[in-house]
Amino acid sequence: MKKKLSLLERMAAVPHIVWIALFIVGPMLFVLYFAFTDKNNQFSFSNIGQLGNYSHIFLLSVLFALIATAVCLLIGYPLAYFMARSKPSTQRILMILLMLPMWVSLLIRTYSLLVLLDNGGLINSLLKAMGRKEPLKIIGTGFAVVLGMIYDFLPYMVLPIYTSISKLDNRYLEAAADLGCTPVGTIFRVVLPLTVPGILSGVTMVFVPSISTFYISQKLGGGKMELIGDTIERQFKQATANAYHVGAALSLVMMILILISTLIMNKISDGDEGGVLV
Amino acid sequence: MKVFSKIYLVLIFLLLYAPILVLIVFSFNEKGSFAAYTGVSLKWYRELFRDSTALDSLRNSLVLAVSSAAVATGIGTFAALGLDRMRLRWLKNSISAVTNIPMMNPDIVTGVSMMLLFVAVGGILQTDLTGFFSMLIAHITFSLPYVILSILPRFKQFDRSLREAAMDLGCTPAQSFFKIEFPHILPGIVTGFIMAFTLSLDDFVISHFVSSPDFVTLPLYIYNQTAHKVKYSMYALCTLIILAILVLLLLVNFVSGIGARGKRKKEIA
Amino acid sequence: MNQDVLIKLSGITKAFDGETVLDNMDLEIHDKEFVTLLGPSGCGKTTTLRIIGGFETPDAGDVFFDGERINDVPAYKRQVNTVFQRYALFPHLNVYDNVAFGLRLSHVPKAEIETRVKEMLEMTGLRGFEARKPSTLSGGQQQRVAIARALVNQPRVLLLDEPLGALDLKLRKDMQNELKRIQHATGITFIYVTHDQEEALSMSDTVVVMSRGKIQQIGTPTDIYNEPVNAFVADFIGESNILDGIMIADKQAKFAGQTFVCVDGGFEPNEPVDIVIRPEDVDVVPVEKGMLAGKVSSVTFKGDYYEIIVDIRGFKWMIETSDYVAPETTIGLSIDPDAIHVMKKSEYSGMFGDYSTFSEEMDHLSDPDAGQGAEEAAE
Repeated sequence: MKKKLSLLERMAAVPHIVWIALFIVGPMLFVLYFAFTDKNNQFSFSNIGQLGNYSHIFLLSVLFALIATAVCLLIGYPLAYFMARSKPSTQRILMILLMLPMWVSLLIRTYSLLVLLDNGGLINSLLKAMGRKEPLKIIGTGFAVVLGMIYDFLPYMVLPIYTSISKLDNRYLEAAADLGCTPVGTIFRVVLPLTVPGILSGVTMVFVPSISTFYISQKLGGGKMELIGDTIERQFKQATANAYHVGAALSLVMMILILISTLIMNKISDGDEGGVLV
Repeated sequence: MKVFSKIYLVLIFLLLYAPILVLIVFSFNEKGSFAAYTGVSLKWYRELFRDSTALDSLRNSLVLAVSSAAVATGIGTFAALGLDRMRLRWLKNSISAVTNIPMMNPDIVTGVSMMLLFVAVGGILQTDLTGFFSMLIAHITFSLPYVILSILPRFKQFDRSLREAAMDLGCTPAQSFFKIEFPHILPGIVTGFIMAFTLSLDDFVISHFVSSPDFVTLPLYIYNQTAHKVKYSMYALCTLIILAILVLLLLVNFVSGIGARGKRKKEIA
Repeated sequence: MNQDVLIKLSGITKAFDGETVLDNMDLEIHDKEFVTLLGPSGCGKTTTLRIIGGFETPDAGDVFFDGERINDVPAYKRQVNTVFQRYALFPHLNVYDNVAFGLRLSHVPKAEIETRVKEMLEMTGLRGFEARKPSTLSGGQQQRVAIARALVNQPRVLLLDEPLGALDLKLRKDMQNELKRIQHATGITFIYVTHDQEEALSMSDTVVVMSRGKIQQIGTPTDIYNEPVNAFVADFIGESNILDGIMIADKQAKFAGQTFVCVDGGFEPNEPVDIVIRPEDVDVVPVEKGMLAGKVSSVTFKGDYYEIIVDIRGFKWMIETSDYVAPETTIGLSIDPDAIHVMKKSEYSGMFGDYSTFSEEMDHLSDPDAGQGAEEAAE
């Protein structure tokens, strides 16, 4: 039975459609336009051709983001698991503790890490007081940048995993125990496979901001660690207008890279979904 | 296992909070250095409140957050209504896909793309389009998917037969919408507004690309201040922000906790 | 008889949030027996099963398995397997891997796993479903996988927690027969939990009727039906008219204003008792030939019989008869001595067995899964 829709109901989405056409599709078209033109607005592949110069930056960014994501998963999964297994009252407190850093601006979190690790920071002041002459150089190393990513984005890994573990039906754990599975065995044979969607969304939520960050590498990399985010940011904020074209090309590549990885992720979790949604 | 899990939880949360706690503790340090804690003082807080740009940026942030959240919630509510009633599957799916682009894309790409739009159109019109309005548009745009995401499921959950029942009892279609369906959607609209508000308040990356120096929000102010030399008044500002968020979180948790308990009691009764 | 006691519960007490679910319960279960724990929602039957399975620890009392105390043995070390309510099949594994789950854990050689899983799938009629995910199976098929997954481990005891609750009536009847057949074929002890009295009577060797955390009666299905010990059991198992009576002497019971000859004895002279008379044991006769007379207040056609409610001196009796009688007529009733069952007074006296407020809808509402959620929540 088809019900007649009122004019309002039929037209309700129109402002939104106009809006996203102007401010989502439009900007994307401009990215494409700038990526494929030169400074004289002539069609050109020169920006794309220049991308090769940035391949080492791309690789470094991917590497850092992968390490940060992997470490977040390794630290975050047990954290999420223990959280989900604790008493409900404890869980509420832990949730607040986990949410607070997420709500505090990324700038503040990164900055607080800088305060801790800087040459004149707390750790080095302590080391100096203990008699160390040379400050321990942490800021300006790849270690500091990756540490920053882990520190900033760990909660984004924990939250979706925690949600999927706490939604896990206790009957599956009982069934595993009933069939002779030890508690540790149950984690690997039952809990882990059933929380793959949570893992995937955690991985996405850490990987995407890690690979595109520029603030973390600026602050903690001490200007010595250039990631792809820094390059793009510089093309747009510091360089002259013709740098926009190369910047647009870089953004396009990053977008495609993330689009592809998102599609792969969706594929994996879709394949599993049938099982999880029983 | 129990003991291990407790130690693990405590350890990770300590590490997670160590830098923030250091920041808070040293925001009260008289001497602007880590070399020594020379005594508790509100010196840096006083300095912060003498800084009029800091207060301006806070006001700007709030104005932007309220206005962008209001517009995004308005557009998003109607969009959710339209999407819910829409029968063309392909159209519905493509609208959703496009809407979600800012959510999937790294912020830097969204920021850069909008910057290109404003720069290019501004170039054609021979004016500088960046400023409050460019930021407003950007913030509305990246909030929209979250607003729709919190409202659309409410429409989907709504039992259509309730509307029919209302009409059966004598409501006009419009009356049945406002008396029956709208109250059901309202919590989603409120959630959507709150999400849009906090996203706007928190955003730095996209604002960074579409802003101009004459409209600076709090995150942009912090960025500018931390770009060069470490300023101790920033410790004070960060401490205040963290405390404000903590209070808000506790409040929300307290209120929802009472709600949940009340609900459970009702169920038992 | 004591030789083959496989599971023994002694003095089991368990409370959730201060609410006692099991109260000092004793139970012995024999090897190769089909035992059913029967009772309404919240009577503690599922908790009993979960204590045997190792998913709950009793607050007091001991659980013995084959003579050994197993209170502290975790579930994964017990020689017991469970068919869970709503199955709990692992959604990420296919049928084959679900069934092979337990065997792989006990490091059975691969070739043996294959033959045993195949055999079990054959026995449960699941051949050809090996590669299917549980979510693609019907309720009955999922049920069979759950049974296969538990049985393939050759447990000493199989625990079944309302396994047929989610199936429709026809399928439930088929599965009842199938379960009975499997139990005979394997010789494994079955402990079966249900709130469906018909299921309990038709499948079990022994029925354990529970209420309020206590065992009311243990016995064979015929014992339970014919010789209920109190008003609760009489009412829960089948339909019963339960009347206040007095045992004047052995084999002489007085109720409904008359003295009847019966077959029971062993009571004090003039002891107040509960009298049970099953609706199908009352014969409708002409008024002048009846021991009792009453006015028919309603007649319901049930297919193979009529269910009539008869008002006898203010007490409404339910009577099943194959002959039609018109409402508002007065009829005579006759009862054989062996149809009169005399019970001692209990805490349940006066709570059941009067059909004056009887209505089918009410019965329906208070019976099935309505209370199910509450019991689960409590556990």
